[in-house]
Amino acid sequence: MKVTVSLNVNGEAWELSIEADRTLLDVLRTELMLTGTKTNCLEAECGVCTVLVDGMAVNSCTVLAVTAQGRQITTIEGLARDGELHPLQQAFIDRGAVQCGYCIPGMILSAKAFLDEHPSPTDGQIREALAGNLCRCTGYQKIVDAVQDAARVLRRERRR
Amino acid sequence: MTGAHFDYHEPTSIAEAVELAARFGDEARFLAGGTDLLIQIQRGRIAPRHVIGLHRVPGLTGVETNGRIVLGGGVTHRTIERTPAFGGALRGLVEGAEVIGGHQVRNVGTVAGNIVNASPAADLVPVLLALDADVTLAGTRGERTLSLERFLLGPGHTDRHPDELLTAVTMPGLPARSATAFLKAGRRKAMEISVACVAARLTLDAAGERCLAARIALGAVAPTTVRVHAAERALEGQPLTAEALRRAGALAAEAAQPISDVRASAGFRRHLVSVLVPRALHRCLERARGQA
Repeated sequence: MKVTVSLNVNGEAWELSIEADRTLLDVLRTELMLTGTKTNCLEAECGVCTVLVDGMAVNSCTVLAVTAQGRQITTIEGLARDGELHPLQQAFIDRGAVQCGYCIPGMILSAKAFLDEHPSPTDGQIREALAGNLCRCTGYQKIVDAVQDAARVLRRERRR
Repeated sequence: MTGAHFDYHEPTSIAEAVELAARFGDEARFLAGGTDLLIQIQRGRIAPRHVIGLHRVPGLTGVETNGRIVLGGGVTHRTIERTPAFGGALRGLVEGAEVIGGHQVRNVGTVAGNIVNASPAADLVPVLLALDADVTLAGTRGERTLSLERFLLGPGHTDRHPDELLTAVTMPGLPARSATAFLKAGRRKAMEISVACVAARLTLDAAGERCLAARIALGAVAPTTVRVHAAERALEGQPLTAEALRRAGALAAEAAQPISDVRASAGFRRHLVSVLVPRALHRCLERARGQA
């Protein structure tokens, strides 16, 4: 069954005619070519497919695209502003928090949803916030450090 | 692509949702958060011809905390975690909700989904059992309410008729000097299915010594999440000594019917119950006594 779906992705409106059973992950990657959102476990365990829906982190592998209508979807491609990386992206680069990189888009989006609500987190809170994003290179310490760096930058920006 | 081919329906009322469910019967599934349903579809375990999305159905996401406690079926684990009224005597609800999956799952997964999925290892359900929860189901023949304990029949199996939608969970308000607690044992701290989990509730007498009411519920050690009545009865009316808590743990371990699987042996699960039950009761005791 084909359905017409209006999606708002990274501030851009799309109207698509798709099969009702297609997941948001599949539509983002193969219809909109937003391949920064990764595919892996397809069972809401690993977090590489994390996107933000109305600012909340969700696993796009277990969301039907049709149910995302009318919501604001943010993928990793939507974080940079005017060609400038988001402080989280910059901090991950500066800290060397990226190894193979596959988990990083989801990691950064989970971190963004978290920092939006917790501007001054402890390391423990960051680890808990990122529990649904697995890094199999297992370099979590630098990821936590990067999120702390980004939190500092974002707090400074807020004060300005 | 989920690989399934289903028609998608988007009702805008409970009446319309249950009419659709009645029309398609076993070929239909309700879709709430999707964190269980879509996995089952993608694994090919189920192949519904019709999926009935509940996203536009109003009246499913309410939370009531004055007097009795009501959770709409569509309330997410995220909402439970962030409801300030659940910080005190009802903290067990938050402790059960906050260990379900990662944030991505809790942001969309619902109370009704956790119940009707009927996993023996559901983390929120033992807490609801310990709070004497009733479930309300809407169907084409009207509404009915029954105890959650009677609603759960087996792994993946409940008393829900195909046309029925679980609309709300209702629990009586707790008397003074009551507290709840939830403990879970897994192989790691997060993103883990329970090897065993325990929910407990205690109500103390005015002196804070004797037990007026006790509830103990277990997860992942029987075909359903279960209450252990024998262990509860052994506590009620008794002074809450360390020995009484230990004995309740032993009775709960005896009542459990665990299996051995890839995660743990039946013997280890029984051991976990005997340790976690007294620990959860002790936590309730401290919390109930801590209330000024």
